[in-house]
Amino acid sequence: MKVHVGSPAKYRFEDRFLFFIVPLFVLDGILGFWGFHYHHLHPTGALAVLCATVQSSPIIAFIFIVALYLAEEKDEFQKAVLVQSMLWAIGATLAVTTFWGSMEKYSQAPHMDIALAPFLFWAVMIIAIVANRWRYR
Amino acid sequence: MFCTTNSPEQRRWVRSCWTSAALVAPLVLGACAAFRLYHLHGFAAYGVAVLPTLPILWVLVELGRFLAVEKDEFQRNLLVQCVLGGTGGTLATTTIWGYLEDFAHAPHLDLVYVYPIFWLFVLVSYPLVRLRYK
Repeated sequence: MKVHVGSPAKYRFEDRFLFFIVPLFVLDGILGFWGFHYHHLHPTGALAVLCATVQSSPIIAFIFIVALYLAEEKDEFQKAVLVQSMLWAIGATLAVTTFWGSMEKYSQAPHMDIALAPFLFWAVMIIAIVANRWRYR
Repeated sequence: MFCTTNSPEQRRWVRSCWTSAALVAPLVLGACAAFRLYHLHGFAAYGVAVLPTLPILWVLVELGRFLAVEKDEFQRNLLVQCVLGGTGGTLATTTIWGYLEDFAHAPHLDLVYVYPIFWLFVLVSYPLVRLRYK
């Protein structure tokens, strides 16, 4: 049987994802469905800021664990693939937001929520990682 | 960022940044004037709206090109770390602001500000990254 041994940095990344990000996403889901859709909560003031912080916490935490992974990873190739993918993703995100922002401003294009920008970034990053791995296979 | 450099690649990258910055202002003013004077609609409106974004896209292409051709690993690494700092800062800001808009009715942040926010964070990251290698 072939045993695949990954890098320790990757294991730590997976552990952090499993024990920090997943619970935060579950908390987000509970808050979103139970609080805002089922009970139609409309928080104001400090509570609204707290809700915004809880909702954005998985994305912020994910940025931190990716940064930690990049700092800990010893394999230069793996690091280079991730960095390249992130550069593609930020390039695409900036291009789309600037283009769509101009369209909204000048030609009444439908409004795009700014909170979608990070999701766009992660979507392009996943595509870029797959494309880069295919390129270097 | 690289004012005192001798590397032709870095000089080209700095030149592209300045040229792009110089082009954005007249294109934005031109687009605003066109919309105000001619009340553009449909395809023409989309075409004119795209014009100010072209120098911005050009800078991103030049950034990718610079990172691909730069021979100095250290300088490349510095820029990559600054770009990652800019990326993290931009994603954090847009996420928090987006949810603040939804929950706390914070004022709407235009999407066109994402690009300046990114470069602002890159600029802030630069001295911090340099400090690590002092």
